[in-house]
Amino acid sequence: MPFSLKERRKFALFAGLIFFHLILISLQVPKGNEPTYFKKAFFAVFSPVQHGVVSFFQGVNRLWNNYFYFRQVQRQNQGMRDEIFLLRQENQTLKNTLLKFKGEKEIQELLSTISRSILVCSVIGYDSSDIHKSIVLNRGSRDGVKRDMVVLDRRGRLVGRVIDPVTLKQARVQLVTDKESGVGVLSERQRVVGILTGYAEGKCLMKYVYRTNKEIGEGEEVSTSGFEGIYPSGIPVGKIITITEDATLFKKIVVEPYLDFSELDEVAVFTIDLRELS
Amino acid sequence: MKGFFEAGLGIILAVALYTLLGKISASLLFLFNPFSCVVLYFSLMKHDIFGAAMGTVCGLLQDSLSLGLFGVAGLTKTLLGFSTGFISRKINVAPVTRNFVFLLIVSTIELALWKLLALFLFRERFALGGGLVLFQPLTTAFIVALLFQIVRKKRGESS
Repeated sequence: MPFSLKERRKFALFAGLIFFHLILISLQVPKGNEPTYFKKAFFAVFSPVQHGVVSFFQGVNRLWNNYFYFRQVQRQNQGMRDEIFLLRQENQTLKNTLLKFKGEKEIQELLSTISRSILVCSVIGYDSSDIHKSIVLNRGSRDGVKRDMVVLDRRGRLVGRVIDPVTLKQARVQLVTDKESGVGVLSERQRVVGILTGYAEGKCLMKYVYRTNKEIGEGEEVSTSGFEGIYPSGIPVGKIITITEDATLFKKIVVEPYLDFSELDEVAVFTIDLRELS
Repeated sequence: MKGFFEAGLGIILAVALYTLLGKISASLLFLFNPFSCVVLYFSLMKHDIFGAAMGTVCGLLQDSLSLGLFGVAGLTKTLLGFSTGFISRKINVAPVTRNFVFLLIVSTIELALWKLLALFLFRERFALGGGLVLFQPLTTAFIVALLFQIVRKKRGESS
């Protein structure tokens, strides 16, 4: 059945759209992970919508909590007091430990620098192809957020680092569970060094540990080593869950990251280079 | 003009819904794709070229919210929009059951194509979200079929 002129035009337009996408994809190949201007523009135009939606629902939630849940306030207040009490104890113990190595004035300056450099951000979006790749934050260059800044969760465990695009009010964070990410890590007990990358279903792989290494074991905690020059050392990342060996030179070490999506509504971005403090 | 306004509203609603689902639970994003819903709905209502254009915009938008290659979801959603619109013009897919089955087939093909392209381009394993992603075509087809029937009924009543 021959197609009419109108239908032929439609097919031509459709073919044009497909060709446009193919060109768009092939143009990115030499650029690697660098986002194109087109992608940055789309992100800049539509991420404020995400920002608006989250702000709206946070406002509604706040209203609900303020006016309808007064009965819970007392209990919450007591819970928070208990938590503050414990945190103060912990803080004092850490200060006392630090005093053995540094002077009191130096410690006060250090702590005040750290508290000034923490930027609390809300998570306003997840990666559309796989939630374990990246998240979008409600703070951007206007708030001092820059590429490669370290992002931690509310318990101080590693979430990832800020990557492009960073717009005025939004920023994207590459999670440690992304396959393209690379974090220098070491095991806490045996100090075995490796590179952590994303694996599958939110798990990570600790790479480049030789098969001959018999020291590393399951259940061991891994933290950042600081060797890759982005993350400071000592940030907890996760726990080793399985270690297997195959024909290759290296062990296959699967790590369960501490990164928990149910607790990922708020994160902390460090606006200073934490490596300079250690 | 009204069509473009509706399309713009649909796109903004998709972004809002996508954000809201993520805030409720990140795993819900495996179960339901609001961008596919918008493309399928407009392909059924306004057919092939409008569907392809919506597929391009929604797909590129989905790509911009991801770290992956920009254009992969754009390509698959353009194919989805055009083929859904084209077939729905040739075959009567308005009856409820036929409509649901048709949407289920096209959304399954779209998901498979998207995952295969990602596998080919990134050489990475599928993120199945604990198997939730396998239900994505089902939920997408159900929601679009429901919406399509409601709008059809409303239009039938008003005319």
